[in-house]
Amino acid sequence: MKPTAVIATVLVAVLLQLMFARYMIGGRVVFDLVLVAVVFAALQWGPVAGMLAGTMGGLLQDALAGGIVGVGGLAKTLVGYVTGQIGVQFVLTRPRARILPLAVATVVHRLLMLSFYGLIDQRWPQVWWTAMLWETGVNAACGLMLFLAAEAVPSALSRGRMSRRSTFSRRQW
Amino acid sequence: MLRRGSFPLLLLISLGHVLVISAQVQSKSGIPLIEAAAFGVFARFQQTTTGVTDGVKSGWNQYFALRGVERDNEQLRKRVIELEAQLQQEQAQAARARSLEEALNLQRTIAAPTLAARVIAGNPQPGSLQVMIDRGSADGVEPNMAVVGSRGIIGRVIGPLAPHAARVQLIVGRDAAAGAMLEKSGVGGVVIGGEKNPPLRLEYIPNLVDVQPGERVLTSGLDEIYPSGFVIGVVEKVEKSGQGDSGERTITVRPAVDVSHLEVVLVILRPAKTVEKPGGKKS
Repeated sequence: MKPTAVIATVLVAVLLQLMFARYMIGGRVVFDLVLVAVVFAALQWGPVAGMLAGTMGGLLQDALAGGIVGVGGLAKTLVGYVTGQIGVQFVLTRPRARILPLAVATVVHRLLMLSFYGLIDQRWPQVWWTAMLWETGVNAACGLMLFLAAEAVPSALSRGRMSRRSTFSRRQW
Repeated sequence: MLRRGSFPLLLLISLGHVLVISAQVQSKSGIPLIEAAAFGVFARFQQTTTGVTDGVKSGWNQYFALRGVERDNEQLRKRVIELEAQLQQEQAQAARARSLEEALNLQRTIAAPTLAARVIAGNPQPGSLQVMIDRGSADGVEPNMAVVGSRGIIGRVIGPLAPHAARVQLIVGRDAAAGAMLEKSGVGGVVIGGEKNPPLRLEYIPNLVDVQPGERVLTSGLDEIYPSGFVIGVVEKVEKSGQGDSGERTITVRPAVDVSHLEVVLVILRPAKTVEKPGGKKS
């Protein structure tokens, strides 16, 4: 696990969430880029990274949203940890294979949030299945882009390094 | 499945979260320090990122797309919003003056000063109906100040405030409400936000009052947040459940402002309860 990478991923996700949420107010399109980052960290670096990303991202999101601080943090911590454990057990390396845990994590996270708020308010809140479906779809699409980028960037960098090395060795020869 | 090393850490972190939640649920008054600090720091970040993205966007629009037209357009749009808000204030003032003249009451209200603000971010919690603006406590913004657009009211400022950023609760939000009145009859009620389509409901209107779709709903000013006479929306549907006059009536209102795309808003700097009397005394 790389703590700096986890922190950077979460911070970028929070900033992007703030930035893009501005264009989606009142609409049907709901997304949670912080959750995408948490799942990414969990699958990329393991359960501890997922848990820490969830704690940090969730707490930041709660603090910025103006609700009860800790609800989103707890939900994301649990989701990040369990997703990380699943990633360790099933070794999900291909980007498309990672979409399923992300989609499941989105639904579980939303239900956890509703449950926590239900417990706090002492009444079960209304579940908006359409919004949840939208959130799952948009999160999956964003996640796929992130997973593909995470796979493509390091290999492109190493290919570049290799080609520079081979050019140099030809010149030497 | 569970690793021995990480599971105790999970329990510890979860316990920490539960403690944090419990502390807030027990004492709801006051703003948690973590909330105020995070809001202030991220508001700065967001202003910078919005400045950068807007700079790139406006650079593109000005030099490659329209060569300067975008800038004029932006200024004109701001001016139009200001003028339309001013017009609404003037209309409200004129209407009030007429009614007060009729009642031989000399009390009058002064048009409140406004402050233009840009919407810099949405709320990070998905589905939450709040936005962040680039004006805060250093600009004279205070909680419960009304935020309006060119077509009507948008919402109100809620705490915590950063020096140069503030959070606005939109009127269409689930927990939002405003004192309202029907334009034709002048009967007062309360407009309540929600998650339905259209998102506003007008409540506490007596069943005997005739309400027709298309009638405008205005702020009454009784909530001491929104100044009276601003447009909230238009009655879209009037549905009656039950028989006779005792049956309940649901009045749904389409908001005047499209909150899905907010760019520039106006903050009314003086709370609605501050009314100036002819002698100069404030009540």
